[in-house]
Amino acid sequence: MSHEHEHQHEPPPAAAPVMPDDTGSQALAEALRSSFTIVKIAMVLMVLAFFGSGFFTVGPSEKAIILRFGKPVGEGQKALLSSGRLYWSYPYPIDQVVKIPIAEIQSVDSTMGWYFMTREQEIAYKTTGVEPTPGPSLNPAVDGYAITADRNIIHTRATLNYHIADPIQAVFGFSADTNFTYSLAGVSNAAQNVLNNALLYTAARFNVDDILTRNVAGFQDAVLRRVSDLIEQEQLGIVVDNCAVRSAAPRQLRDVFTQVTTARENRNKLLNDAHSYESEVMIQSGAQATSITNAAAANRARYVESITAEAKRFNDLLPKYESNPNLFAQQTFLQAVGPALTNAEKWIQPITENGKKREVRLMLNREPPQSKPAPAGP
Amino acid sequence: MKRNLSIILISAVLVVIFALLLFVFQVRQSEVVILTTFEKPTAQPYDRPGAYFKWPWPIQKVHKFDQRIQNFEDRFTQTLTADNNNLIVTIYTGWKISDAKSFYPKFQSSVPAAQRILEGMLRSAQNAVIGKHNLSDFVNADPKELKFDAIEDEIKQIVQSELSTNDYGIRLEFLGFKRIELPENVTQTVFDRMKNERQKLISKTENEGKAEAQKIASAADRQAAETIANADAAATRIRGEGEAAAAKFLPVFQQNPALANYLLRIDALKQSLNQRATLIFDERTPPFDLFLNFPTNTSSR
Repeated sequence: MSHEHEHQHEPPPAAAPVMPDDTGSQALAEALRSSFTIVKIAMVLMVLAFFGSGFFTVGPSEKAIILRFGKPVGEGQKALLSSGRLYWSYPYPIDQVVKIPIAEIQSVDSTMGWYFMTREQEIAYKTTGVEPTPGPSLNPAVDGYAITADRNIIHTRATLNYHIADPIQAVFGFSADTNFTYSLAGVSNAAQNVLNNALLYTAARFNVDDILTRNVAGFQDAVLRRVSDLIEQEQLGIVVDNCAVRSAAPRQLRDVFTQVTTARENRNKLLNDAHSYESEVMIQSGAQATSITNAAAANRARYVESITAEAKRFNDLLPKYESNPNLFAQQTFLQAVGPALTNAEKWIQPITENGKKREVRLMLNREPPQSKPAPAGP
Repeated sequence: MKRNLSIILISAVLVVIFALLLFVFQVRQSEVVILTTFEKPTAQPYDRPGAYFKWPWPIQKVHKFDQRIQNFEDRFTQTLTADNNNLIVTIYTGWKISDAKSFYPKFQSSVPAAQRILEGMLRSAQNAVIGKHNLSDFVNADPKELKFDAIEDEIKQIVQSELSTNDYGIRLEFLGFKRIELPENVTQTVFDRMKNERQKLISKTENEGKAEAQKIASAADRQAAETIANADAAATRIRGEGEAAAAKFLPVFQQNPALANYLLRIDALKQSLNQRATLIFDERTPPFDLFLNFPTNTSSR
């Protein structure tokens, strides 16, 4: 009883020491609690990691496109994310970030139309201009060339610079490999084939002289037109910035092609000379013609004036003459002859007494002597 | 209570994430997916981008195919044209999987396997088409005669119809010539011909130049002579005008022809005496006639 009473009056024991003998289960509970905490932390970390994995950056020479449920977010250039900031997207399987190496300007070289050179030969050619000696023929396995409309062989090559106008089409339209990776290699490959085809097609429409000398710009324009047409037809999603074409005669025939150029230059020189002769002759004859007509005009004026003066003089003299013709004649004769006689050499031959004619012999020089009178015969 | 709620929330999120990973697959813009249930393809391929439901492996399996255009070119092939010219041709194509359901059983997802089939078809189609055309259909300065595009189209259509007949699930997007060349020994013949033509061109150019220059020079000479002749004619006309003007004075002189005549002779005499002259006179000529009556002792002589 006392025991019961004692029991009744005892203060209620603290919770912990309720089962002082159950330390094992207490430890277990403790462990469970702590491992549950770890699990909770792990779960929080996983959730954080899941959402944190959505952060990404873009490198300087690449662009990124976010695919939401497989479809690109944004259209055209807006779909492209550039470097310089931190982006966030929903983690997979909602979003997926595709990164593509994109340079500002894309460029491809044609591969179909040039003769084969090893890398060393190409370097030597670029630095010293020395080309390897060509064989007598072209090997289709390694040497490239195009056949022209007049069935000649020429070498031609081009560099196409372009930019991506429709990144979605360019990236998601063309495959570069079989690993489902995304890059611009596929569209670049297609652009290269377009360029090759354009060179081949355009060369097939042009004669060799047009391609090499007569219509170089026309050939280049035609290549560019074909490239643009094919880009549109094949929907490459790119826009051409420029296309530089270079063509050359086969090395085997370079000398003879140079001779043609020289012959053309010579012909042009001949023609230029002829044209300058032509203009010189024209100017001269024009001047001569003018002087002839001017002289005639001057003559006419002089003649008319002198006749006018003569007529006036005639009218003035007529009354004097009519009054005494003989006196008039003698006066005017002496007036006219008198002054002339001062300058002339004179030789007065007396009349012979018997009225016979006297023979006079003159030594005539072409130039009459200056000082002495011409000697006269007896 | 609040702590429990957050735990429940986090757990729910995790469950959703795992469920998504297990039960959802994504089809990307460039892909087409065939879903197989215990290795048997389901009805329709998934060819539009999006997220779709699937049962987890091993019940259902996702087979992805690249729906992008594959660039493919065959190795160069020697082909005879209708006019017996040997051409060495390389063709490039762009093809894509158009029907994954047909493609899958034949090639699984192997692009190279499909390209091997394509290469064979390209070769036979190109032999057949090129054999129908002359070399002038490939290279021609006359756009109406040039059949370059038409030949490409013909080859493309033959290959495409063969692909469709065999139900390969492949579509040719584009096809074109990459190279058209000649056998090596023919290039040498072409070089010889070209050299010959060039030499002819050289002599033609030179001769044409000479002839043209001569033409220009002689035309210039002729024109110059014409100009002078015209000027001479004009001068004659001008002089004629002068004479006509002078003729108006004729009636003046006709009043006394003897005086006119005399004046003319006097003028002529003055003109002739302008030059240095030697004159021989006898004494009867005035003014020397003065000597005649001059008181000299001529009789003593």
